[in-house]
Amino acid sequence: MNHDIVIWVLKDYVVRVLQDYEALRRPDTDPELEAVRVAILLEDIFGITLSDAEIDPAVLADSSAVTALVTRLAGGL
Amino acid sequence: MCGVCGIVSYDGLPDLALLRRMMGRLGHRGPDGNGYFRDRRVALGHTRLAIIDTSGGAQPLCNEDGTMWVTFNGEIFNYVELREELRDRGHTFRTASDTEVIVHGWEEWGEECFARFNGQWAVALWDRRAERLVLSRDRLGVRPLFFTRRPTGLLFASEVKSIFADPSVERAFDPVGLEQTFTYWSPVAPLTVFRGIEQLEPGYYAILDRDGFKKAPYWHIMFPERGREPVQDARESADDLRERIVEATRLRFMRSDVPVGAYLSGGLDSSVMAAVIARHTSAPLHTFSLRFSDSEFDEGHYQKKMSAVLGTQHQDIIVSSSDIADVFPEVIWHAEIPILRAAPAPLFLLSKLVRDNGYKVVVTGEGADEVLAGYDLFREARVRLFWSRDPGSAKRTRAAELLYPWMVRSPGRMPAFARSFFGRHLDPDDPALSHRPRWDSTSVIKSMLSHELQDGMGRAAAEDVVAAMPPDGKGWDPLSRAQWLEMTTLLAGYILASQGDRMLMGNSVEGRFPFLDRDVVDFANALPARHKLFGLEEKYLLKRAFADLLPDDILHRPKQPYRAPDAASFFTPDRPAWFEAVMAERAVAEAGVFEPSLVAELLAKCERTSGENMSNTDNMRVLAVVSTQLTHECFIANDGRKAPERSLPDPSVAVDLITEDRSVP
Repeated sequence: MNHDIVIWVLKDYVVRVLQDYEALRRPDTDPELEAVRVAILLEDIFGITLSDAEIDPAVLADSSAVTALVTRLAGGL
Repeated sequence: MCGVCGIVSYDGLPDLALLRRMMGRLGHRGPDGNGYFRDRRVALGHTRLAIIDTSGGAQPLCNEDGTMWVTFNGEIFNYVELREELRDRGHTFRTASDTEVIVHGWEEWGEECFARFNGQWAVALWDRRAERLVLSRDRLGVRPLFFTRRPTGLLFASEVKSIFADPSVERAFDPVGLEQTFTYWSPVAPLTVFRGIEQLEPGYYAILDRDGFKKAPYWHIMFPERGREPVQDARESADDLRERIVEATRLRFMRSDVPVGAYLSGGLDSSVMAAVIARHTSAPLHTFSLRFSDSEFDEGHYQKKMSAVLGTQHQDIIVSSSDIADVFPEVIWHAEIPILRAAPAPLFLLSKLVRDNGYKVVVTGEGADEVLAGYDLFREARVRLFWSRDPGSAKRTRAAELLYPWMVRSPGRMPAFARSFFGRHLDPDDPALSHRPRWDSTSVIKSMLSHELQDGMGRAAAEDVVAAMPPDGKGWDPLSRAQWLEMTTLLAGYILASQGDRMLMGNSVEGRFPFLDRDVVDFANALPARHKLFGLEEKYLLKRAFADLLPDDILHRPKQPYRAPDAASFFTPDRPAWFEAVMAERAVAEAGVFEPSLVAELLAKCERTSGENMSNTDNMRVLAVVSTQLTHECFIANDGRKAPERSLPDPSVAVDLITEDRSVP
């Protein structure tokens, strides 16, 4: 499959996962703990491993940043 | 729901007096009637709890020409549809019961009939022409079915105590069955805790004829390869799941000729059940709840809230520690097995409340935690995998706080403890990664076992179960492997037995479990794991599917495992006299399971604090010893002679082809 299509599909998948997350979301009051929660979700679904620097509210609380992160780690970009 | 028993003998007439004694020990399972059938080779017995076709469904029941007989415990919920299909194929029905569908289903489809049944059953069919006995048990083990083989025959029954009505049956503990109990919380079928007594595996059928005994599965617990699940969209899956659960609940609530009530624990699963009944049926709903005098365990607030939202007629029972101690011997008499928690005891008292209110059927939320991933064990396994990817990460350590909100109160200390406990056995390739911590912590009981018993444990019980996982399991999601282990061990062996069938039937009450419906289970097993455990959100899809029917604080309430006051109940000043008798050093030595000196040390330790602040380990050890001693007292030392015997009324079906006596309604 064309690499661009793979990335497009992956981005779409990330968006859907984040929408599913929002559907029942009850955010933790501690942003760092919330980042750990999101990291567990992303690693499980996308089969990626985040560094400690990436398990960070500044990265994982922003949907665009999450999409970019997952695309880079899972899609090889 | 009923009791079934039988004798197969290829070398002489089956003993009708023995059959009647076997039936007498199943009187609590079927107080509404009883019946038997005998020919040259078989005697079938039945005690009836009349629920469907109360006037016409007496058993044992036969086909049109009397060549096929059945004794059946359970319900086939899709019997109406199957009956129509069988009528179209030329079968004639004499009753309106689901039992008759089994007879004609076997005639039409043979062993393939079981895959067509959607229900909960333990059944024995006798084919007179072939002199062949067929046994079958439902997919996940809702209904029990025990047997003991003999060189020229077999005895079978719903409960072991019925088989022990035959004094020639050996009464002894099976060391491997005990070892499994002290690892998995129960033996795994076909093992039991009694030597020579087997249980038919859930999802299996067995055939006994002159060629011998053989058995085979008609259904497996299976999951798709990770990433190849047929439906990936969560919203679509939620809609489909809702449709199936509504239908499963409707079938279990409506297909009964007597009123059906519902358990309401205050948690998500029973609230969904009750809400579905209230929304999709017009019948008034009566709900029953268990409360505790100890506020640590009590969920009365949520129960009352849900009952008020749905407008149910609600009743509860408040259980104290002394209630648990008082009723515990009766609980073991019904459970027929050592138990590691006292939790079955309050459930026994709850089913009594149901019966005392004139109900004999309840719908409950049992099975949702296994089928839709609600247990903490699944979340723990996911956190442990998270840790395993970067064991040195400080940030990952904090995931322990997400498992248990109470850890937040002392964040500096508890994550380290949790990490040390759950951080062991972190091999991502281990198919039993999810269950090792529980099996390890349970296995500490074995350090108290007598040397004789330890010598009798020939093989490693834990590896037996792991080795039985299908080879395809390597490609499953880790959650699927954990679900397979949970369904294979705890669900069938403990949840549906010691906390389920036995505590319900002890008071002549049938439990119905919509989450264990064939179509719900098959659908749920085919889902992507993330639809069930989404990150750390347990039962994600169930919550999403029924969000509109539940109050917000019940929908988002952290999972509360069902807990009851445990071993502390045995160290209060008013504990009953039976405790001293069964725990005396001589009684422990006679049972031969535990080392008397170690038991004495444990009891002395607990006495010093009057049972206060017992560790989880000591709590479990005390319950293991007490329940094992009672099991020995009931079934090995005394053969149940101290237990109340129930005399049966005159049979409504009495067919004895040997004497040509025949009485069939």
